[in-house]
Amino acid sequence: MTGNPENRRMWSGVWGYRESISITGGLFLTGIALGYALKREVTAVQWPANLFFGLFFILIIGFSAVFFRKSDTFRWLSGKKNAICAIAWYLIVITLLGFVPQKTEPSEDLLYRLGFSHILSSHYFLFAQVYLLMSLGMVTARRMNKLSVRNLAFLINHFGLWLTLFAIGLGAGDLQRVRMIINKEYPVYEGYDEHQEATGDLGLAIQLLDFSIDFYPPKAYIIEGSSGEVLEHDTYLSLKEGEYGEINGWKIHTKKYLEYALGMEEQYFPVYETGAMPAAYVVAESLDGSIISEGWISCGSYRFHGRYLELTKGQLLAMAQPEAKSYRSEIKIYTQEGDIFDAGLSVGKPVSVNGWKIYQTSYDTERGRWSEISIVELVKDPWISVVYAGMIMMVLGAFYLIITGKRKQE
Amino acid sequence: MTETLKIYAAIILSLWGLALILLAYDVLREFFFRKTSRPLAVIYHVLTLIGFGLIVTYTLSLWIHLQRPPMRTTGETRLWYSLFGILVSYSIFLVWKYKALLGGGLFFGILFLAINLSNPEALSNTLAPALQSNWFIPHVIVYILAYAILGMSWFVAVIALITRKNPRWGGKEFSIADNLVHIGFGFLTLGLVFGAFWAKEAWGHYWTWDPKETWAMITWMAYLLYIHYRLVHKKDNTQALWILVIAFVLLIVCWFGINYIAVGENSVHTYSTN
Repeated sequence: MTGNPENRRMWSGVWGYRESISITGGLFLTGIALGYALKREVTAVQWPANLFFGLFFILIIGFSAVFFRKSDTFRWLSGKKNAICAIAWYLIVITLLGFVPQKTEPSEDLLYRLGFSHILSSHYFLFAQVYLLMSLGMVTARRMNKLSVRNLAFLINHFGLWLTLFAIGLGAGDLQRVRMIINKEYPVYEGYDEHQEATGDLGLAIQLLDFSIDFYPPKAYIIEGSSGEVLEHDTYLSLKEGEYGEINGWKIHTKKYLEYALGMEEQYFPVYETGAMPAAYVVAESLDGSIISEGWISCGSYRFHGRYLELTKGQLLAMAQPEAKSYRSEIKIYTQEGDIFDAGLSVGKPVSVNGWKIYQTSYDTERGRWSEISIVELVKDPWISVVYAGMIMMVLGAFYLIITGKRKQE
Repeated sequence: MTETLKIYAAIILSLWGLALILLAYDVLREFFFRKTSRPLAVIYHVLTLIGFGLIVTYTLSLWIHLQRPPMRTTGETRLWYSLFGILVSYSIFLVWKYKALLGGGLFFGILFLAINLSNPEALSNTLAPALQSNWFIPHVIVYILAYAILGMSWFVAVIALITRKNPRWGGKEFSIADNLVHIGFGFLTLGLVFGAFWAKEAWGHYWTWDPKETWAMITWMAYLLYIHYRLVHKKDNTQALWILVIAFVLLIVCWFGINYIAVGENSVHTYSTN
């Protein structure tokens, strides 16, 4: 250990843990008290104010690193013990976040007033983040004069994390996420923000041209006839044409499978029409071969009822609603500048237009294949490249850690 | 496939169980009588490696059978943990000649495989659209590797806490634990960042403080705390060992404890059990 904390009076000489704990603890309490007294949450700062805050912050760090590099206070602020306290404080706050359920609407109860059920917008979390950024930023600035592989790795790790947190924090106010429900009738030009409020004109409009889903083969299960409960099963049975499977003591053979069908008098016919549903012709045989039952089953659709197959007096074979494998919207985009073009949207493959990224998120799940609408999300995140730059540095730093481990004590 | 798992698991468990007994015997004999036996060592090496070969075979055949990576359910991640637990502990054992660590690997491998054997889960072959991403495999693999490595560091910390008062204590544990944490933390960082890249493409934002994300950050910060704490307290230090023990408890909460706490209900990460 450096120094001798037992013999040093607090706030004198080279500062250490006691001062760091007092200051972080004090800020923590101040943050709680401030939230309680002001009765309001922290809101993210928007462009261009966030840029000024950011530059001001960098200026302070740079200024102190240049002019107070040798001072005890700077060495303490950028030092390891203070870093430990900054990390511990942040850790305590997010651990609270990990346990206390958070509220989306303001409330009058004490937990909320003290900021524990809206931690992400509390003053003390903001303080903890700024304190961590200060500690990280200062140690990065302090180490910038040495050039060696090891020091470079140190800088990449610390600056990478600093840049990531810094850009996420400052960019929060400029991040826009808009939910939009599009349809085939007319182009939609506004959506709803996180608080379900209408956004007004977004500078572009979207119309749905076509919506399609690709399903997995539906699964089958057995229902207790009297209670309507699904029997527990330790295997899954997929209804694929020509395949055999086993569930709850029954061997099931799927003789025919129709992805789109309509039923008529116990028969199902392939029909591709709104409301058509999957249907399968199955032969069920009990494992000992004593009972055989066959017929059509279907999960139904929003328009038509489904159909069970009675196996014995008490048990029914049923088809589950098929699960989506992928879904896709063909859309037409109209921009304010007068550009009109078509695009295809699917999950994980967003489309970029005018600074917005358009994501496929959902559809009318009740109607499934016959959904008349598609739900998309428009995201504008101007700080993303700065965040990614930080994250890529963290990845490089991580590789360094993995390759070298911890060197023997220096 | 459940039947096949039973057969595989039974064989692997007996091989590793026997290896663990022989290893424990060897370690105790070395500790008390300063004697080691080469033939004995060869036997437990071979048993461990055959078991490893079998678990790799089983995991790959499950992958082919399901037509998707078997990484979706808690049971499937436990299988990977068994696999990587042995891989990591065996590799580190070869580098550091630290037998207790192989013991830890075998112990975790047996434990997680035994849990899978006693709770067989139905294997569904469907994968929701958002999970069909190139990031899925790297994200899960680096995380399970990190968990395996950090699990070993927990094991080393526990050994050190128990034996450090003993005059025969070698004191090797700290440097092993430090190395494991640095490497494990590297993988943890990769998992975190890969997850962020994936989330951006699939859900529109890289970080939403989803309960799993919150707990991943808690775990990450706890190990970060250990790393910095060790920079200040370089000598043998009981507090550092305790940080390591607690950090792993947090990691376990992150891995599957979330399914049991109230805040985890709406997580996109909550493993499907139906």
